[in-house]
Amino acid sequence: MAALDKKGLEFEKYSMPVERGKIKELVDAIGDRNPIYFDPGAAKLAGYRDITIPPTFMQVIDMWSGVHDFDSKCKKLGMNPLKVLHGEQEYEYLEDIYPGDQITGATKVTDVSVRTGSSGGMNIFRLETSYTNQHGQLVMISRSSIIERH
Amino acid sequence: MGAVFSAGDTFAEYKKAPVSRLQLARFAGASGDFNPLHLFSGVGEKAGTGGVIAHGMLVMGMVGEAITRWVPRKALKKISVRFTGMTFPGDEITVSGRITEVLKNGEETRIVCEVTAKDQKGQVKISGSFEALV
Repeated sequence: MAALDKKGLEFEKYSMPVERGKIKELVDAIGDRNPIYFDPGAAKLAGYRDITIPPTFMQVIDMWSGVHDFDSKCKKLGMNPLKVLHGEQEYEYLEDIYPGDQITGATKVTDVSVRTGSSGGMNIFRLETSYTNQHGQLVMISRSSIIERH
Repeated sequence: MGAVFSAGDTFAEYKKAPVSRLQLARFAGASGDFNPLHLFSGVGEKAGTGGVIAHGMLVMGMVGEAITRWVPRKALKKISVRFTGMTFPGDEITVSGRITEVLKNGEETRIVCEVTAKDQKGQVKISGSFEALV
């Protein structure tokens, strides 16, 4: 099964700075008006030295670094884009992240499983991404499962 | 922080404005997820979703927004969710949360909580958990 062969696959590393404008765009699209994402004064009162990122921001680094996008990820995993669903998503927060931080993402396929069922089978890809900053500190970890319906 | 957290406590439900197609376009641009399923009805029909569906990560963003109204952003250590249902334009998401465990370790208090996002019909879109140091 071609899908099972993807276990252990490592994606090309990608890197991008955290940008104020991208933070603002994301919180505006979500409708999250917490000022710690755009007002440095409010962020300082919350214990940060500058504005910070909302909990799901790393998606922006994943998709906008110019290295990977939805289609290229589907190709890499051999998935039909029309059959793909996001199953699970976890983020672990280890260090504060600020505009100007250069974030590097390293993604690995940690597991692949194939399920069969009465309503049709599916391939489940488990991915883990570690995010490090320009100082080499591990700042966040993402774990996700991507489902491809058969 | 002074607040007392106990297992079983619930957080104030957080209700969002209805999801709009314009919001999906904005979210596509902001996040960089241009999967056509979220933008073009015809693609949704081909994929069997019955039309445009919202990005799961948009709904997770709303979950993150709710959580960081309940606990400070800086206190948040982990969010873990499962996407259990599709969200359509017009759906109104309400996020609810409850403390399931309070773990004390010396000076440190960690709360483990469950979190759920439902639409106006009560259909669950996201279920999961989060952890915060309080």
